[in-house]
Parts: sequence; structure tokens; C-alpha cells
Amino acid sequence: MPKVKINDTEIEVPNGTNMIEAARLAGIEIPHYCYHPHLSVAGNCRMCLVDIVGGRGPDIACNMQARDGLAIRTDTPAVKKMRASVQEFLLVNHPLDCPICDQSGECRLQDYYMEHGQYESRLNDAKVSKEKRQDIGELIVLDAERCVQCSRCVRFSDEVTGTGELRLMNRGNHTEIGLFPGERLGHHYQGNLADICPVGALTNKEFRFRRRVWYLRETASVCDGCATGCNIDVCHQEGEVFRYNPRRNDAVNKSWMCDPGRLSYQSVMSLKRLLRAHVDKKEVGVDAAVAEVVRRIRNASSVGVVLGTRATNEANWALLTLVRANLPGARIFWVEGNDSTGLPADKILIDGDKNPNSAGVRLLAAHDGKVGDKTALKDAIPELKLLLVLQDDVVHRLGGMSLPPVIYFGTYLNDTSERAAVTLPVAHTVEQDGSYTNRQGRVQRIRRAVNPAGDALPAYQVLEKVGAALGRAPGTAMPAAAFNTMARAVARLKGMDFKSLGEGGLPLAALPPESSNVQAAV
Amino acid sequence: MSYPKILTANWGIEGSHLLSVVRARGAYSRLPKAFAMTPAALTQVVKDSGLRGRGGAGFPTGMKWTFVPPAEKRGGKPVYLLCNADESEPGTFKDRYIMWQDPHQLIEGMILSGYALGVRTAYIYLRGEFKFVQKRLDEAIAEAYAAGLLGKNIQGSGFDFDLYTHLGAGAYICGEETALISSLEGDKGQPKLKPPFPAVEGAWHAPTIVNNVETLAVVPWILENGADAYKAIGTGKSLGTKLISVSGHVKRPGVYEIALGYPFKDFLEKECGGMLRGKGFETLKAVIPGGSSVPVMTKDEVLRSSFDYEMLSTPMDKGGPGTYLGSGGFIVMDDSTDMVDSLTNLLRFYAHESCGQCTPCREGCGWMYQILTRVCEGDATQEDLATLKDLADNIHSKTICFFGASAAMPVQSFLLKFKDEFLAKIGALSAKGAA
Repeated sequence: MPKVKINDTEIEVPNGTNMIEAARLAGIEIPHYCYHPHLSVAGNCRMCLVDIVGGRGPDIACNMQARDGLAIRTDTPAVKKMRASVQEFLLVNHPLDCPICDQSGECRLQDYYMEHGQYESRLNDAKVSKEKRQDIGELIVLDAERCVQCSRCVRFSDEVTGTGELRLMNRGNHTEIGLFPGERLGHHYQGNLADICPVGALTNKEFRFRRRVWYLRETASVCDGCATGCNIDVCHQEGEVFRYNPRRNDAVNKSWMCDPGRLSYQSVMSLKRLLRAHVDKKEVGVDAAVAEVVRRIRNASSVGVVLGTRATNEANWALLTLVRANLPGARIFWVEGNDSTGLPADKILIDGDKNPNSAGVRLLAAHDGKVGDKTALKDAIPELKLLLVLQDDVVHRLGGMSLPPVIYFGTYLNDTSERAAVTLPVAHTVEQDGSYTNRQGRVQRIRRAVNPAGDALPAYQVLEKVGAALGRAPGTAMPAAAFNTMARAVARLKGMDFKSLGEGGLPLAALPPESSNVQAAV
Repeated sequence: MSYPKILTANWGIEGSHLLSVVRARGAYSRLPKAFAMTPAALTQVVKDSGLRGRGGAGFPTGMKWTFVPPAEKRGGKPVYLLCNADESEPGTFKDRYIMWQDPHQLIEGMILSGYALGVRTAYIYLRGEFKFVQKRLDEAIAEAYAAGLLGKNIQGSGFDFDLYTHLGAGAYICGEETALISSLEGDKGQPKLKPPFPAVEGAWHAPTIVNNVETLAVVPWILENGADAYKAIGTGKSLGTKLISVSGHVKRPGVYEIALGYPFKDFLEKECGGMLRGKGFETLKAVIPGGSSVPVMTKDEVLRSSFDYEMLSTPMDKGGPGTYLGSGGFIVMDDSTDMVDSLTNLLRFYAHESCGQCTPCREGCGWMYQILTRVCEGDATQEDLATLKDLADNIHSKTICFFGASAAMPVQSFLLKFKDEFLAKIGALSAKGAA
């Protein structure tokens, strides 16, 4: 581990750390445009020029590996002048159209100008003009004038998607990014281009002009579009969600997310949301529906229960505990499958399993030991008199089999809600606290960003009401309590508590050797 | 001054580009001697000779060769030898003559250098405009293959060596060695970040040595006559001979082979036939001694300087002219020259040729050209001149490659050494009352 010095701070950093990251570890920010921790080093923006103590001249921190005894300074007059100069050069041919630019508020040109700019224009010459509003892909519009030629987008398309559509064309101050004639972006990760573009050159068509970003608040959560569980920031204002942005988690999604996942924020305001409780298609209050659920459970001679791959760990734990405590004769199942078709799996982020918590359900199934799968459910259906379904569209997944009366705790209108005798609205991922376990077996927090729509509640809270009415509440009124009880009971969650999941989540503990006969959780 | 003609020995001889003609004059006669030596011993000869890269930087050639990692540390990767024949520096036109007049001298130099470096495949990268030179080289290479001087097991030595020419698309930046590599690889001709340096990781991520045409062409002579004979020519650390391409206001512009250490004054009088107009040096105004990128010299500086790397690069505050020998592109300007126009013309070139990769050069070269255009039109202020100077300072040594400095140094030196002409252009001189 080399020991380096940044200004007056000495710090030991891991081998192979570049000096931008080393400085970050020392709490010192070195400004940069082209450097990105998940892309190769290009070294073209020159914003990260620093002085090497005892060195021959300035050099760029992004391409400087930490080595023992290396000392740099980021606070000398020379460094300040270099930063001001790079800012000035970048603005020489920039249109300065911030008032109509959607990047305003999250633009590095603006941010660094405030911190490092020289505030006084020396430009008495005409700017180079380039083509604005170029429609280059489903999600992306390019304004070549705003571009600072950092090549992040070029490297992303070369190194992450491997599609290589983007190139820097022409030379000198006529350099601009572009595609080959007649080509368009051809991948499902376009939104990331707008994210990594440090300026307003690449903007997201779907988001732009909808809200000034400084009005938005961010809540750290997880995308529920597939089993990958990309970490996201839910960006919202006054109860309305405007976008999902990928949130860096090197263990899961690095800095990226797919376009369908990014656009899945639209499901919060979807017209297909289940917003009210119903009994026999008649809208009722939640309490009335809970009473009806309890009545039907008590009257049914044989009850089946289906855990939800789209439900939180806390909700599944609530359902499992409720059944084992109150309904000794009931049988529990889970049904693998997707509620709707999506993009096939790729080698980047997209998983074929479109549920955020299949691994969590598998873990609880293994823990319980008596949870049946889809085949077991199909076999059992003729004997069942009542079926409780947690969030998954089980009717769709079973391919339209004839079923006993269904009680559906769900977020969306679908085949199951359509067939259900009783429905109870469940909060959307962004409307509740809880956790999902992703395909790698990483337990990750979701957080309430906005209030639940309509009468929706987190499922664990509805189930708490049902359990209480049946005699023994599962103790899941609060998600932290639900999780912590579950973590004490389930071996592979040992040592975790709700708080310790933090922003980045925690991996499941390894399977103890003696339980290797039990189905692996992930 | 007496010294052997090394590079120009065969120039002007009828059919000097043909193998039959030059072989009778000793071409390829050094191969057996080389093959009897170890590659390391051959490298040592070049190192001992004090030969420095003739492309412009003047880096010791033998030392550069030793930067190639030993075979056991290369992970099975080959070593490439690339001949930089992208000769694009304004005022420089020497390499084309070597390749046109005596292509076999270069080919032999590359075989010897390739043997020293353990190279199997080598390329001559030519600027796009050198299509006619490529044709001549290709013919010479074909002759060498037919004579068993290239290809497999050359002269029974067990040494295999293939040589190809490659034509660029006509970009000045491709003379920068890492941009040359990018272009050869099939990418846009743009410099790469260093480190890694090409000797460690160059073309196709393999160790690569890039040498200038003139540098490689000297190697046969050094091997034949020995390092000491080469060292005997020249002065101090500036050893051997150098081709100087002279353009501008002299009676006999052209390419001359001189011994390093030769005074400019003598060179101008004896080789170049003196100034185009006037007696002696009365009309001499300025010289750019090493290709357009190096700082300009005033008459006084010219008359006390010589072709000496160290002497020329002595900073002005230490009594030197603060410039470089560079590529030996010697541009002579007499008093009819408008220095502001000249600089503007140079900057038009740099603004056009900047590859556009890194910020200061991409934006700065164009901006400096715009300001200079206004200065020429009289539509500028002293603040603009101050900005111009500051922009040059902000570009120099802040960029990925040396292009930025190459564009900045003319601006800095012209403004410093010919300031009055700039002030006069914008009407600021008369206001001050100075003449």
C-alpha cells in the first residue's frame, strides 16, 4: 500500500489507485471532466492538472498512479491558474445557453466555473457553431455546441456496451462527437450517456424540460425492474417521481442502469396501479377488506399462500410468520416467473428474472423448508379453497388455470387482481421502506421517497393487521422490526440489522456446511 | 570544416535509388558484420556513437532502444520498429530526400536497427502526401526482398525481418510518435497518454521503437566506421552530421548535410550563398532554426549561434537563444518579412492541425489564430496581445503531447522578440512615441 501526500495530508492508499481517487480518500476534490471511475483514463480535459512536489512540471492526476513517496499539491497558484485556464478554454466555444439548457444545476461547467473560473471574459472573437438538437437515439438528444469533447460517451459505448456507435469527428476546435451517417444508438443503456455527460451535450429526451433539477430531492433506493437490483436515486418533488438515476455501487451496478429500469419510474404514476381495496369488485376501505380477508380465511377449510418475488423481504417474512403462527393447516408456495415480458438477459446488467426479490423468497423458502414451488402449487390447487397471493401476478404465471377464490395483495391491476375476490392495494417500491435481495444475494434497502398513492400500504403493514385480527400479529408494523426479527431467525442473515444495510447493502452470509442439503438460497 | 558525407554520400548519383547502383557503393555491406555481433553489442555501438534522434527531440537513440523490456518480460509480445517518415513540420524537408535519393540507406538502417532490437516486423509510416515516395520505397523494398536482404533468414543469419510502408492520411499530428501508432493501428491519429511509453507499450500494446528516417539511415555508417568515428564529428553532446533543410530568403535554399557545431553565420554564407538581398547580413531579420515549432531567433542570436543542441537550448536568461535545433528546418527571414503575418500564418497551420483531443490545444490554437487575425487587421488592443501571451503560456506543457508547446513557442517567442511589430500593427506603437 503506497503512502502518498496530497497537499498536507499523508494517506496510504491501495495499490493501483490514481491520484484523483487518492485525493478523494484524503478528502480533497480534484476537479475533472473526462475521468470516470468506471471508464478507461483518457486524460483529455486537463482539469485535473496538479503540481508534483519536486517534479518537472504539472501532470494530470487521473493518469498518475499512487506510488510511495509521491507528493502532489492541488492548492498552488499555478494549479489554480491551470484550472481557471482550462475552464476558460472550455467556455470559449460553449454557447452559454444555461437558461434553456436542461443540464443546468447538475453541470460541471457551471459548478467548476463557480469554484475555479476566472469570472472575466477575454473573448472578443466569434464562437464555432455546431449542430444543436441532434436526435441520436431513442432516449438521447445531442447538442454538439455544449460538448466539451471529454469522450466519456465514446468510451462508454466502446467499453461498457461494446456497441461503439460514438466517435470524435473532425479536428481542432471543430471536433465534435457523432455517429456514423445513418446510425443511431443501438443499446439499452442510453440513459447512462446523459448521466456521464458532464455538461448539457447529451440529455435525456424523456426527462428534459420536465423539471429543473434543483427542485428535485433524491432518495437512495433500488430499482425493482429485475433481479439485478441496480442502486438508484429516486428523484422526486412534492410527491411526484420524475426520474431514477443510477447510484454508484461497485458491487452491483457500478454507475450504470438499463433504460427500461430507468423508465420504470413511470410505473409509480401508472394508470394500472391498484389504488383501492375491493371486495367482490366493490371498492371498500382497507379495514373492511382486512375484515373480509379474515372472515374468508376462517371459513376456508384449506388455505394456500403464495409468497411474492415482487414483494419485500419484510412482507414475505410477515406473510410466512402470519401463516405459521395462525394457520397451521395452510400450505405455502412461491411461483417462479415474470408478470410481463421484458428484455432478455444480457451480460451487462439486465436479468431475465424481472422480479426484484426472487432470491429473498428462495432464502425464506429454504429457511422454512416446507414451501412448495410452482408445480407443487399446481398439484395442490384442486384441494385449496382459498388462495392468498402476495404481489406476484400468479394467475398470469400459472397460465390461466382455474383457481379457488383469490385474495390479492398487489400494486398493479393485472390478471390476478382481475380474478381476485378481495384486493388490497400495496405500496410501490418508492413508497415504502424495506429490502430486496438481488441475484447475487445482496440484501439492499429501498426507501420511501413519496407517500403511497390511494389507499396503498406496505404489504407488511396490511399483513400485520390481518395477523392481529387472526390472533397473532407477525410483529411487522415497522419494517426495521420485521427485518431484525427475520435476521435473527434466518441463518444467512446473521449479523445484519436494518440499519447496517446502509446505502450499499450487504451480501448474504455463506451457507453453513451442515445445511448444504437444503436448497441453496441463491 | 572537414567531415565525411554520411547521409548524402549517394545523392545526385544517377540511379542512386536502385539497388544495383548503391550496392556497388557499399549498401548492405554491413549486414554480415552485424549478424556476427549480438544484438546487444550492436545497440552498444549506437549508444556509444552518441547518435541523437533527428526527428526533433534529440533524444539519445541508443538509450531509447534500451527501454524495450527484455524478452522474458514481454509476455510473448513482439517488438515493433516504426520509421517516422511523417515529415510534416513546416520548414522541414530532409527525410523525403533520403527516401527519394537513397531509399536503400534507410532500409539497411532499419534491418540493422531491427536486428539490434529483436524486431520481426517493421513499418515505414509516411505522411499522406508522400505517395510518390512510397512508390519509390516500395520498389526498393521489393528489390531488397528479391536479393534476400529482407524476409526470412536474411543471408543465412537466421534473422527474419519484414518491412512495410504505410501511408497516413495527411495529418501533422501523426508525426508525434503515439499519434503515429494510433494511425498505424487504424484509429484516428491522436496522441496517446504517456505513461506507458511506446518502448514499453506501443503499437498493438507491444513494445515499439519509433525512430526518424534520418536517425535510422545513419546506423549503417556508424556500424561500418565505428562509434568513435561518428563521435569524432561534431562538438560536445552534439555529435555526427545533421541534415538541414533551408528555406526562405537565402540565395541557395535546399538540404545540406553539416557537421554539428557548425556556426550559423558560416553556414548561411558558405552553404546557402548568403542572404537573398543586400550585403552580408544587413537584411537578416530572423531565423526559425529547427522547424516551425521552435522559438524564433533574432539576427543577433543567429549570428552568434551554431548547430548545437545544447547551445541552442540555453535559455535566454542564461545568455542563450532559448530555442531548439529541432528537426533542422531552417527558415530564414529577411527584413521584408512581416513577423505578425508570419506568426499568423503559422497559427493558421496549428489551429488547423490540432487533433482536438485535449482542451488547451483544441480551444487555444483556434483562439490564438483568431486573435492574431484581428491583430493583422489592426482590430486588436494591447489587452488582446496580453491575452495571446497568456493563452500560449496556458497551453505550453499542459497538453497530452508536445503539439501544444509547438503552437505556443512561436507565439511566445515572436511576441517577446518582435513585440514592436505587434504593437505597430494595432496602432499602439506611435501612441507610445517609441519607434
